[in-house]
Amino acid sequence: MLKIIAAIAKELLLLRRDRAGLLVLFLMPAILVVVITLVQENVMELTGQKKTRVVVLDLDQGDLGKSLRQQLEKGNLQIVVWDEKQKDMTDIQAAVQGGDYQVGIVLPRDSSARFKQEAARLFQQNNAGMQEKPADRAVVHLFFDPLLMAGLRSGITAQLQMALTTIAMQAKLEVLDRVLQETMAGLHVGRELMPLPRFNLPELAGQPLLSLQENQGPLPQAGAVPYNPVQQNVPAWALFGMFFTAIPIAGAIIQERNSGIWIRLRALPVSPLVLFSGKAAAYIGVCLCQFLLIALIGAGLFPWVGLPAFTIATHLPAVLLTVLFSSLAACSYGIFLGMACNSYEQASTVGATTVVTAAAIGGVMVPVYAMPQVMQRLSILSPLNWGLTAFHDLILRGNSLPAILDDLGRLLLFFAVTALLAWKLAGIRHSRS
Amino acid sequence: MMAADVHRPEQRQGCALWAASLIKQYKNTAHPALNDFSLEVRQGEFFGLLGPNGAGKTTAISILAGLMPPDSGTVRVMGMSFRQRQHDIKQLLGLVPQDIGLYDKLTARENLTFFGKLYGISGRKLAERIRQNLAFVSLAEYAARPVATFSYGMKRRLNLAAGLLNDPQLLVLDEPCVGIDAQSRHLIHEQLRDLNRRGTTILYTTHYMEEAQELCGRICIMDNGRLVEQGAPAALLRKSGMSSLEELFLHLTGKELRDP
Repeated sequence: MLKIIAAIAKELLLLRRDRAGLLVLFLMPAILVVVITLVQENVMELTGQKKTRVVVLDLDQGDLGKSLRQQLEKGNLQIVVWDEKQKDMTDIQAAVQGGDYQVGIVLPRDSSARFKQEAARLFQQNNAGMQEKPADRAVVHLFFDPLLMAGLRSGITAQLQMALTTIAMQAKLEVLDRVLQETMAGLHVGRELMPLPRFNLPELAGQPLLSLQENQGPLPQAGAVPYNPVQQNVPAWALFGMFFTAIPIAGAIIQERNSGIWIRLRALPVSPLVLFSGKAAAYIGVCLCQFLLIALIGAGLFPWVGLPAFTIATHLPAVLLTVLFSSLAACSYGIFLGMACNSYEQASTVGATTVVTAAAIGGVMVPVYAMPQVMQRLSILSPLNWGLTAFHDLILRGNSLPAILDDLGRLLLFFAVTALLAWKLAGIRHSRS
Repeated sequence: MMAADVHRPEQRQGCALWAASLIKQYKNTAHPALNDFSLEVRQGEFFGLLGPNGAGKTTAISILAGLMPPDSGTVRVMGMSFRQRQHDIKQLLGLVPQDIGLYDKLTARENLTFFGKLYGISGRKLAERIRQNLAFVSLAEYAARPVATFSYGMKRRLNLAAGLLNDPQLLVLDEPCVGIDAQSRHLIHEQLRDLNRRGTTILYTTHYMEEAQELCGRICIMDNGRLVEQGAPAALLRKSGMSSLEELFLHLTGKELRDP
């Protein structure tokens, strides 16, 4: 035990004096989680996962503008109303083009009057049975941010179209109701003979006959937090930082092997297993600190910059277990790299390339579901994917330990395989030395 | 060339290190590094192992210190075999490798503390041992400095201090004075002689003849993985009629360059 503790203390002491190593292990993932989360938050705005900011300029100031705003506020839109005395259509266009708002809506003057006129005209007939010449329709002007994604643009257009159709339908029904009542009154038909009940038509037409219910599968698990970039990125970039410990681990092993240190260590009454265990234990501690740092950034710093706070509502022991198993996998990969590579340059190049690749295909940078089919199939090979899936199951889906046993099993298997390969390589090097 | 005497493998009184018929061939090499190599070092001896480059000195040291097994042959340290009592042997054996075996980023004291704990020494005993060893190699005032700031001679001295942490009965040194200045070399020689006087058996490899002549009570000259000649330096010179050990060495091993 004394020897393992001595090995752990030595590794931590060496790491403490390795400023470049500390920057890579702690500062890099800290910066990445902040930057990437802020960037993804902006992407969410452009894809409609956040409330879309809509600026409305009502030059008409009539009922049409009020009705339209009421309809739009039912959806996922954040309405901002501009003062018509101070702004005009050119200002709206500039604001939306410049990205200050995603959508701009302008209601020209006399829109309400034209709209009512058009609604009344529908039920007017001259004595010859021909309709009067149609009047100009009221036009609602719509502007989009050029960077807005096509999907969101279509959704907002559909929402606006539906709002306008609803307003128009209400107006038509009001007119129809009035015309019917006038006609019945003109024909001296008693109320008891009227084919329709005494409620007005708009209200009647507004009664829903069908309803839409969004199902989310089994009952939502307790502790599940709605998806947001913070809940995705904090565990993702913590994992990325943890797997980057493979490079300093490999570097330390190579330095010992290429100097007289390894010869001295082999001449000492201590098993190589004890030395490697001490190294792994030290870096598992480093991985835990990395996760803690990134989680604290998510919980403490993010609210200050306008992001949601990172939360782990329940299943904290399962989360810590995931961190531990991910750390084991990362450390054993570092030991394998140290045995396989001949120089620090080799280890840092191979290590960085493999970790970044595993992170990319594992869903750290882009969610797996957003990748092409081929990449989705490859993602199951990435240890970072296993760790990230386990975190998502716990933090986003609110599942408990049994749901992540398969991912933990894969991480443990990865640890066992890389540790075994490292042992074999050590034996080969020993026989060649 | 005289063949070495082969001793029976019974435990001999006063025999610190005994090796018989060692053979070791590395993969993808044409010739064995050790080819029927035998050696006996008595307790309390200061024994020199000489040979040109590629003679097999480092291979011999590695096998004798238990760093790798031979392909065939037997090694006994204080009558014990590595196969059965590796841990016990390593407790009483000290190794000073040819390459500096120290962590540059750690201080002298931190290096010795780590290696001392791997010997199972701790607490006050370790602190005292470190203090003694640093004083032994005249590095006491540099204990708190990182090894990276040391000169090469200082690193060599600290390398020696690390090999003495367990107060070894048998000290194996692989060219410990390569590339250092005369003052550091002189200090190391003095301290090794002092250790030997106090009873530590020393196996010392070098290819500096004057070093061997100055320090060693007995030497063996090896070449091509075999023991070529052994005995006290003075006796070897008398027997051969050569005027210097270097002349004897060149006579036995040849003057051709030993490039790999």
